[in-house]
Amino acid sequence: MTRTIVLALVLALVGFAAGNWYAKPRAPAQEADAARVAASYEGGFRADGESAAAVSERLASGNITAVAGAPGEHEIVVADGESIQEAVKRAAPGTVIRVRPGTYHETVYIDKDAIRLVGVIEQGRRPVLDGHGKLNDAVLYSGNGIVVENFTITKYKGNGIMGQAGNNFEIRNNLIIDTGVYGIFPQLGKNGIVEHNVLSGIEDAAIYIGMSDNIHVAHNVVFENVAGIEIENSRHAIVENNYVYDNTGGILAFITPGLPIKTTSDVIVRNNFVVRNNHPNFGAPGSIVAGIPAGTGILVMAADEVVIEDNIISDHKTAGILIVDHANAANLTIDPESDPNPDRVAVLDNVMYRNGYDTIPEVKALMLAGMQRGEPDIVRVGPSTGSCILNRSRYVTVGLDDFGVCGFGNTDATVTYLLPPVPPRVIEPGERGKIAYLGICSGCHIYGGRMVGPPVQAIQALYMDDPQALADYIANPVRKRDDYPEMPPQNYLDPETRLAVAKYMLEVRN
Amino acid sequence: MWRLFSLLILGGALVAPAGFAADAARGGTLYAPCAACHGAQAQGNPALQAPVLAGQDAGYLARQLRHFRAGIRGAADGDTAGATMRAQLAPLPDDAAIDDVAAWLASLPAPRAAAVEGAVLRTGSNYYQSKCGACHGARAEGNPALFAPRLAGLDADYLARQYRNFAAGLRGTEPADRYGRQMRLMATALPGEAELRDVLGFIAAQSQQE
Ligand code: HEC
Ligand code: HEC
Ligand code: HEC
Repeated sequence: MTRTIVLALVLALVGFAAGNWYAKPRAPAQEADAARVAASYEGGFRADGESAAAVSERLASGNITAVAGAPGEHEIVVADGESIQEAVKRAAPGTVIRVRPGTYHETVYIDKDAIRLVGVIEQGRRPVLDGHGKLNDAVLYSGNGIVVENFTITKYKGNGIMGQAGNNFEIRNNLIIDTGVYGIFPQLGKNGIVEHNVLSGIEDAAIYIGMSDNIHVAHNVVFENVAGIEIENSRHAIVENNYVYDNTGGILAFITPGLPIKTTSDVIVRNNFVVRNNHPNFGAPGSIVAGIPAGTGILVMAADEVVIEDNIISDHKTAGILIVDHANAANLTIDPESDPNPDRVAVLDNVMYRNGYDTIPEVKALMLAGMQRGEPDIVRVGPSTGSCILNRSRYVTVGLDDFGVCGFGNTDATVTYLLPPVPPRVIEPGERGKIAYLGICSGCHIYGGRMVGPPVQAIQALYMDDPQALADYIANPVRKRDDYPEMPPQNYLDPETRLAVAKYMLEVRN
Repeated sequence: MWRLFSLLILGGALVAPAGFAADAARGGTLYAPCAACHGAQAQGNPALQAPVLAGQDAGYLARQLRHFRAGIRGAADGDTAGATMRAQLAPLPDDAAIDDVAAWLASLPAPRAAAVEGAVLRTGSNYYQSKCGACHGARAEGNPALFAPRLAGLDADYLARQYRNFAAGLRGTEPADRYGRQMRLMATALPGEAELRDVLGFIAAQSQQE
């Protein structure tokens, strides 16, 4: 395989040379770019009370590779035929639960802190969590300092591993195959690692970082999903060294309108192989994810400060990199509280070839309007201010005329955004409904549009002033819409929380 | 420290809805006088503001007829088309007659609607999917489980009038009209007339594709 890549590269480089030769000269010459390459990007994220110097030092030191804290002394072993959930019930915080190879048909809920759920791999045999196409989720955690590693997860309808407002998580070395809408989905978490996982056959996003901060997504292999790796309404994330191929869209940084947390910014996408993401879109028609054009390597939608560096991005029929605002995206409408434009996007050096060879009509129309020819590597549609690119003459670009030359050439100064373990999210007594809404419901419901479930606005019209009826529904949902998946029962929440979240859902205004 | 969920598994019971047996053949006979406005095949007549009834969900039609009868619909000041319809209920003396005619109408094939001039289908699709499809179905085919009627195939002027009637409080305000009130809450969801036109264009296009 390596050989074909190298060969393809060589061919592509020949292509570049020819392309450069004929390309009409563009404003900034390459020398100008090279002169500034020395400077490095610093997102400048500060933990509370941290000085600027400490920030630089921390970002560059890169010695944080674990965030869940040290394993405790207690250990429980679960053997084939036993229940993992029983072990979780018995476990005190700080327990390592070792799950032996075998097949487990269950949903594991982890509602305490510092639990490490660790698969034992013996001669290649892992513990398999098998939902039989009936169970909704494999692992749901709401605790802090949770580790989930070494499992195979397959045939669940909802999520492989979902985090609900848990901080300091580590999810690694899992194989998540043919499972539901989201593969790995930390929602509303801070300080987390998703690494060395293999994910395939997910109907929506394989790795979905939702409304989270300080996240590291690395060394994953992600293929044949609708969306490969999605950084959504999140900040300070690094996506690096992943192999992302044969999805509909490869790596996505975006803002979904109608979620309670309204921004995405400071996302570094570097050193990934993003290849051949041309899979026909199998998301539910009409849903936001179904609007991703097949053949998109990296999609930046409305997200700010996305830095794209040193990726190999090839063989995408629509575009290698697509930068778009909300107004021009499909299947969604504007959220008055979200800035709809992708601003300060930086495209540093990337290897790009064979992209845009069969692009969508909208892009063709743009090219026609600009009298441009060729097959676009990078496409920008809609407003984007303060964005930049290095060595633009290497690529075929559309709509990048007002992109300046970047003032930095690499992201070396930012090794990681991970922090020493952060305190758990503080949840005030009256906030139970809100946090459940943010941590759970927002994974599938947005206010005024179609994500996985119906819009909250429509749910408000249906239930009006009857939160009890809504609470009853979520405890035991019945199928109502042929063109939506099933709503997973929320009966693991206690009745007060269900009522609180129902009330909150009927109150939110955006 | 409080966490999002604590372990607790509950069971639940389901209630099956009861059906009713309507006599569609009798409904066809009862319909005869209605054809003057709604057309022989219940295909509607825009010149008379009379909507398509063919292929509409029977439960929805019967509810509308009862609402006209009870003055829940068509009695508000300013709802002239509704008032016209309210005056046409003599041929349907009782609930059985209403159910029969509704069953017959539901059994007829739904017609296609004319395309909407000037509608931007892409915008219409975005708004329809974001604001309407969750109840009326992805292709505007209606969803009986949510009591939301079919919109595909209905004349755009009629749909626009109803949408505005909901927004203006001519329809969907009575406490007894739960489903009308649901729709009324959605009748301000579109930002303006242009988007309404685009959505209606998208709805019309759905009937073209069937
Ligand atoms: C994994 C995705 C997912 C999550 C998480 C989720 N939902 Fe849903 N929800 C759905 C889907 C899909 C439907 C549509 C089901 C149908 O129509 O058959 C739905 C439908 C609903 C409905 C509509 C019921 C009706 O009468 O039409 C309500 C209310 C609802 N969800 C509330 C919630 C609440 C509250 C939460 C959080 C506690 C939540 N959902 C979390 C996917 C989800
Ligand atoms: C004089 C013309 C006329 C006659 C005759 C008439 N209708 Fe109507 N009908 C209307 C008009 C106009 C409307 C639209 C009312 C509105 O805009 O709210 C209507 C609306 C309806 C609706 C509501 C449809 C919807 O989608 O909500 C139903 C159901 C209906 N008529 C059934 C009947 C039946 C059954 C008969 C015969 C018993 C009948 N109509 C006879 C003019 C007529
Ligand atoms: C919360 C569910 C829901 C949503 C979302 C919704 N509707 Fe409705 N709609 C209904 C229901 C229920 C009715 C039937 C009301 C009744 O029984 O009188 C209805 C009726 C209608 C009617 C009248 C049809 C007729 O034959 O008279 C129109 C037009 C309509 N809706 C348009 C829309 C449009 C356009 C949107 C999106 C902007 C939308 N609806 C969104 C539930 C909904």
